[in-house]
Amino acid sequence: MYFDIIIKIILTGVVLGGALNLAGLLTWVERKQSAVMQDRIGANRASLFGLRILGLFHPLADMLKLILKEDFTPRYAHKILHALAPFVSVFFALIAFAAIPIGNDFAWRGHAIHLQVAHINVGLLYILSVMSMGVYGVVLAGFASNNNYSFLGGLRASSQMISYEITMGVSIMGIVMMDGSLNLQNIVQAQGQYWHHLPLWGIFLQPVSFFLFLTAAMAETKRTPFDLPEGESEIIGYFVEYSGMKFGMFFLTDFLETVLASALLTTLFLGGWQIPYLFHDGFHFPWGTVWIMAQPWVILLGVIAFSIKVIFFCWFLMMIRWTLPRFRYDQLMRLGWKIMLPISLINILVTGLVMVLL
Amino acid sequence: MTQTQNDTHWITEGLTVESALEHVYAKNGFHQEFVISKDSLRELAQRFRSREYFLECLSVVDYPDHFECCYQFNRWDKIHRVLVKVRNPDKTHPHFPTLSDIYEGANWYEREGYDFFGVIFDNHPHLTRLLLPETAKIHPMRKDFKGDSGTDVEDVLALIEYEDHQYEKVSQELKNKYQKDYFINMGPQHPSTHGVLRLLLHLDGERVLETYPVIGYSHRDHERMAEYKNYLQFTPNMGRMDYVGAMSFNFGYIGLIEKALGMAPSPRAEYIRVFSTELNRIASHLLWLGTYLLDLGAMTPFFYCFDDRENILDMLEMLTGERLTYNFFRFGGVAYDVPEGLGDQLKAFIPKMRGRLKDYKILIEKNIIFMKRTKEIGVLTKDQALSYGVTGPMLRACGIAYDIRKAEPYSIYPEMNFEIPTFPGCDTFARYQVRLAEIEQSLRIAEQAFAKMPEGPIKGEKAPKVSPKVPAGEFYFAVESARGHYGEYLVANGSANPYRLKQRTPSYANLSSLSSMLSGHLVADVVAVLGSTDVVMPEIDR
Repeated sequence: MYFDIIIKIILTGVVLGGALNLAGLLTWVERKQSAVMQDRIGANRASLFGLRILGLFHPLADMLKLILKEDFTPRYAHKILHALAPFVSVFFALIAFAAIPIGNDFAWRGHAIHLQVAHINVGLLYILSVMSMGVYGVVLAGFASNNNYSFLGGLRASSQMISYEITMGVSIMGIVMMDGSLNLQNIVQAQGQYWHHLPLWGIFLQPVSFFLFLTAAMAETKRTPFDLPEGESEIIGYFVEYSGMKFGMFFLTDFLETVLASALLTTLFLGGWQIPYLFHDGFHFPWGTVWIMAQPWVILLGVIAFSIKVIFFCWFLMMIRWTLPRFRYDQLMRLGWKIMLPISLINILVTGLVMVLL
Repeated sequence: MTQTQNDTHWITEGLTVESALEHVYAKNGFHQEFVISKDSLRELAQRFRSREYFLECLSVVDYPDHFECCYQFNRWDKIHRVLVKVRNPDKTHPHFPTLSDIYEGANWYEREGYDFFGVIFDNHPHLTRLLLPETAKIHPMRKDFKGDSGTDVEDVLALIEYEDHQYEKVSQELKNKYQKDYFINMGPQHPSTHGVLRLLLHLDGERVLETYPVIGYSHRDHERMAEYKNYLQFTPNMGRMDYVGAMSFNFGYIGLIEKALGMAPSPRAEYIRVFSTELNRIASHLLWLGTYLLDLGAMTPFFYCFDDRENILDMLEMLTGERLTYNFFRFGGVAYDVPEGLGDQLKAFIPKMRGRLKDYKILIEKNIIFMKRTKEIGVLTKDQALSYGVTGPMLRACGIAYDIRKAEPYSIYPEMNFEIPTFPGCDTFARYQVRLAEIEQSLRIAEQAFAKMPEGPIKGEKAPKVSPKVPAGEFYFAVESARGHYGEYLVANGSANPYRLKQRTPSYANLSSLSSMLSGHLVADVVAVLGSTDVVMPEIDR
């Protein structure tokens, strides 16, 4: 009993720390990534004891600056809701990580250990619902600021997230149908099968669903080209009236959601912690070579593989952000309702037909 | 000249003409001048409107014994500039008929006249202050206005009165008045208004019902400054109006004074002027391209464009010593000769820029989102463009090849081999196409001008050593700035200062057409359309 609790606490610390640190680091990655794409050097001024390390201390400096800044509440804002909104945003972005499996289940001294903070059998449903709760923070921020711009931002956010929530949910139904489970660990484990030595990852089985989910996830995380709630050149965004760390929390939510979307994409479509040809006792390559490994190493390799895949998707989302201009509101809605939703429904139909016929 | 007289018989047929004058176009810049009675003005304007003349400019002049409204009408296809004057001897309550229902562009000109001179335009739909604050009590362009050196100190100070205490009262009133309506003040601190433009948007959800541009936040009254300074002292002001394309404004002012003095610059100076102006035009268009894509949400192109613009600024810095607000042109020449090394830089820059243009085209036009955001957005029809007096790339995006460099050639432009790119789209995408094509044409001109540049002095023989005295008369000179038709109407009285120097800036007319382009669009389109007009606020506010 105590053992389980301690394991869970450690796991929570690892996942929470990993997500928060990755989100923090992403602010630096974003600056450097954009700098590379824009022929610039990028952030490199912050130094600690004369060390610069490519400006890696910038996230720290940013955080410090945000915390030390004046926390300003507009005179005609709703004080309580205004203060509550950023917390709601960050909270729902953080707790969604609970259902993501970061490694394979294993047994240690007679205890079954799940590398998943919340080992629940409706993990996918949980994540989707928590992600859609995140919109409350945005809507509250837009409403409570008593500012026309942030109000528009909040409206845009709510309608955008509701629209894309549906596509997002429907697009992954194909995978759920094939695996017959909403448990993310089961979904990942099912991706460990092979068809003529080709790993049966979600991206190969459900390519259409992958692209739909990728698009919807970008829309969910409010990143360019779907950054309409922010739209810094149009309406500045739902957080116009926020300053200091409260603004920082919205900023952090943005990056946390990026990490979350990457983690979900990895889990559903890129085999989660799976490495091709790595089985529970080591590598069995299709050409016959076998590398036997001890179980802890296999588990560790899985966790590392998962992290690398997540970081890859984070980078990929960054790259898209600095490449594309922004959609217009009605175009976004048209894309969501008239193109993506029908395609995802057809995808379900085709998946079902194939499953029945085979 | 006789032919034009025959052709233009319709202008005044049956109207009360007080006097008519045939101007020498090469000397004054006008083809014809009429002084007509107030009652005939509207009829005359309607005739011009029906024959596709646009209202080029409206200047009010305060003469000792009367107020005078000078309307300039002109054509796109064949230059025929007609100056129509209406006089009102009543100095205390001057009234003029409005033309704002015939030419929508007259709306702002008339408001400006009211603002600066206190001239009332009867039946004007919205005769309020335009460039000065609504609370202003002064008419600063009147000759009897003394400013803070005179007795009007209190009135001037009233301009900066701060009215915060009224917020609670006013906000409650507005709340009761507008139950459903949604208003947004876009600007003057909004990042996408390119300076200090304020747009009051009346919205239904995200859909724009009406737009009211509010301007004047960077108003410094350059026209009044011109009356205080002598002709030479006023030259630095030119770089402060259109700070993005300051060379064209230099060109406009210096060209005007040279025309009035009947003086020609040295041949070498002509070529230096042309290639530096064209380089500046490219820099202006590059700045526009970068910021426009920034407005649409793409941040990366901004840096690419600034990278290229930097090359041009470096070259112009070598030439002029300045990077932005150039004060380079002098009466009869230019300030400095071409330095060593500039030629090499220019020769390296031109092919590089051509390569970059191709990249831009591919990167931008293959992007579906960009195309969807710009096509069929902000449509300005040919008739609306005529009504508002829109010029420059915005007009050429309506398919009309009106460019002063060809239509009314000045300096050495007739010797240059270049085209006027036009696109028939009438939308924001066509404006983008025009500007990108113009960069290529400007490269061609700069290349030719630099190659053909003769040796010789950089100042003409008759170049004045001190500030000149312009002989009495009325002069008009127009150049094609990066944003369109930049013209100046000078009333000189033979003294060391201009009596009146009206600046006809291109963005002023272009911006006034904004509200007609926006109705029915979304908030995001406001940014896209506003960006496509390429306004530079200090040039509008002057």
